[in-house]
Amino acid sequence: MSSPGARGRPLSPNIQIYRPQLTSVLSIANRITGVILSAFAVLMVVWLIAAASGPQPFSTVQRSIGSLFGQILMLGFTFSFFMHLCGGIRHLIWDTGHGFELRSIYASGWAVVVASILLTALTWGVSIWMGVG
Amino acid sequence: MMGKEKRLPLIIDSSDQLPSATILKRFPLPRNFGVAPDSRIEEGQVWKAPAGASRTKAFTIYRYDPDSGDNPTLDIFEVDLDDCGPMVLGALIWIKNKVDPTLTFRRSCREGVCGSCAMNIDGTNWLACTREIAETDEAGRIYPLSNMRIVKDLVPDLTHVFAQYAAMEPWLHSKTPAPENERLQSPEERSELDGYYECILCFCCTSGCPSHWWNGDRFLGPAALLQAYRWLADTRDEATGQRLDDLEDPFRLYRCHTILNCTRTCPKGGTPARRSPRSRK
Repeated sequence: MSSPGARGRPLSPNIQIYRPQLTSVLSIANRITGVILSAFAVLMVVWLIAAASGPQPFSTVQRSIGSLFGQILMLGFTFSFFMHLCGGIRHLIWDTGHGFELRSIYASGWAVVVASILLTALTWGVSIWMGVG
Repeated sequence: MMGKEKRLPLIIDSSDQLPSATILKRFPLPRNFGVAPDSRIEEGQVWKAPAGASRTKAFTIYRYDPDSGDNPTLDIFEVDLDDCGPMVLGALIWIKNKVDPTLTFRRSCREGVCGSCAMNIDGTNWLACTREIAETDEAGRIYPLSNMRIVKDLVPDLTHVFAQYAAMEPWLHSKTPAPENERLQSPEERSELDGYYECILCFCCTSGCPSHWWNGDRFLGPAALLQAYRWLADTRDEATGQRLDDLEDPFRLYRCHTILNCTRTCPKGGTPARRSPRSRK
């Protein structure tokens, strides 16, 4: 046995070696998209302030949103929104005490992924079709 | 939605299924990311298979010798598959008998009942005795249970998690006088304990819970919380109020974020996380 004092017992690795699974990846994705949405809320305030300050600043903001970088950002925000929304619904279902069988966990998990992608595509499809943005 | 499909390869039906499609075998982090100097893993030695072995397979195994004063290392062992049992535990026993007698690990029943040989195999926690060698990756990676203080090699110090288990007072509390015979339950009442009574205390779940990694000192972790629910759900137990009061704490219970790594890894097919929302009621 170890003699105390010389050195503490090492901690076995956790995040460094544990396999990414749908369970943990969706959990961290829900957090990350939540953070992204907070940032988006700040940008939305900037957009509103610009709109309230007059046509000149508003068109500047509109132009940066319309740029390629701005559009990529908006796509990311849209996806984050739907991912966080679907993930939130999944959590609400869990809060009722349902869906904890492994099969359900995986089914609802992939449903969140697929639904987020589809809803994002739908939103962009509709807005492009309607000529918005 | 997708639940209707018969057997999508991406959907895991039971915890013993190996991941069918994982893009990453581990998170894209440096091996020793955020690891304290004492816990950093260094390169170890290679133990060649004995001469004449025709069918061999390599295993990468976490080693730590408290007497050496050195950091943990990763040793590579070549195992003679024709000379050892079919399970990962068989390979470990073969190494200990034939190659390096100092390789240290816990084992007892070799049939998934005792929970002693829980370890991290290819990135997920499982029992070495119920994981086939054929199911492991090339140079299969064997680490001790994640996020544990290591006594030696694959032997973790379970003092803390057992203390958390004991704090749940995992026995029947009753105030009413003992009946002449047993306290009976109907089959329906008994079935409420399915998914909970099976726990063998291997701590695969608690060791695989990211929330317990970051807050294990105050968050009870899946194994202990499963036990808490097991007694809350027991119709014969009469301390429900007190048990709930003891759980009511920002950390003890509520650091469960339903990540559900616990259910994915439970070697007994248990559902550790299910009790969480119910206990919140």
